[in-house]
Amino acid sequence: MDSSAMIALAAAIAIAVSTIAPAIAQGLTAKSAMESIARQPDAAKDIRSTLIIALALMEALTIYGLLIAFMLISKI
Amino acid sequence: MGEPSTVLLELGGILDITGEVVAMWIILAVITVICLIIRLTLKERPGVFQNIIETGVEALDNFFAGLLGEKSRKYFTFLGSLFIFIIFSNYSGLLPGVGMTDWVKAPTASLSVTAGLGVLTFIFLQGAGLGHGIKHYLKHFISPIFIMLPLLVLDEIIKPASLALRLFGNVFGEEMVTHQLYEIFPIGVPVVMMVLSLLFCALQAMVYTMLVSIYLDEATE
Repeated sequence: MDSSAMIALAAAIAIAVSTIAPAIAQGLTAKSAMESIARQPDAAKDIRSTLIIALALMEALTIYGLLIAFMLISKI
Repeated sequence: MGEPSTVLLELGGILDITGEVVAMWIILAVITVICLIIRLTLKERPGVFQNIIETGVEALDNFFAGLLGEKSRKYFTFLGSLFIFIIFSNYSGLLPGVGMTDWVKAPTASLSVTAGLGVLTFIFLQGAGLGHGIKHYLKHFISPIFIMLPLLVLDEIIKPASLALRLFGNVFGEEMVTHQLYEIFPIGVPVVMMVLSLLFCALQAMVYTMLVSIYLDEATE
């Protein structure tokens, strides 16, 4: 395998792995947020803003993976 | 990261005018014109246009008041302008023609612009912390224990850096995905991603200012 194929594979792995873990985490977060809203609809506003912050912080991990993938791709 | 922007014009060898700078000038001009129009035609009984703007400003005010409480009015000018600038920059990438030429590019899809916003946020947060009380500001670096000092200093630098990277990554990533979809099938398919972008652009502006106000809340506790 030559080096450009290795780089392409590395970029694919970088974005794939960094998508899987935050996806699971975001799913769990959304699940518990929805459960809380169903249990206590009055608190929906507070829960929603906290949820968005939590999701954004997890999203950042995927974005770092995406940036690494772009950096690797540009090296081919 | 990303491709380096083409320099359109060099001013004195220091300032390079790129497509992002031109786009930012246009955005600033549009915002200034809207502000001037609304300021000069301010009425007791608002018309349609004034009503829309008033609703928007009120929503922003409530948004920051919910996060910061009583302090929100003091910092509203900075946070509000940050929000308006970021949302205009994000949406400018969706206009037809923007990003296709070197002359006009979406500003927040460039790491230089978001890093600049990050530096601005860093200065603002430190300034707000210092303005709240020097003793309190210095104390938060060694609380709860002085061994934490290097970590807490690092934390102050990482906060704006992660803000800048998040904003850049999201907007740049969206543009790249739209571009790739366009390459695969040019008719119709990119519209799906652009409709999603309408949501994400507003969300990113919200997330950026929300995180800044949370950091601000911590700094001025």
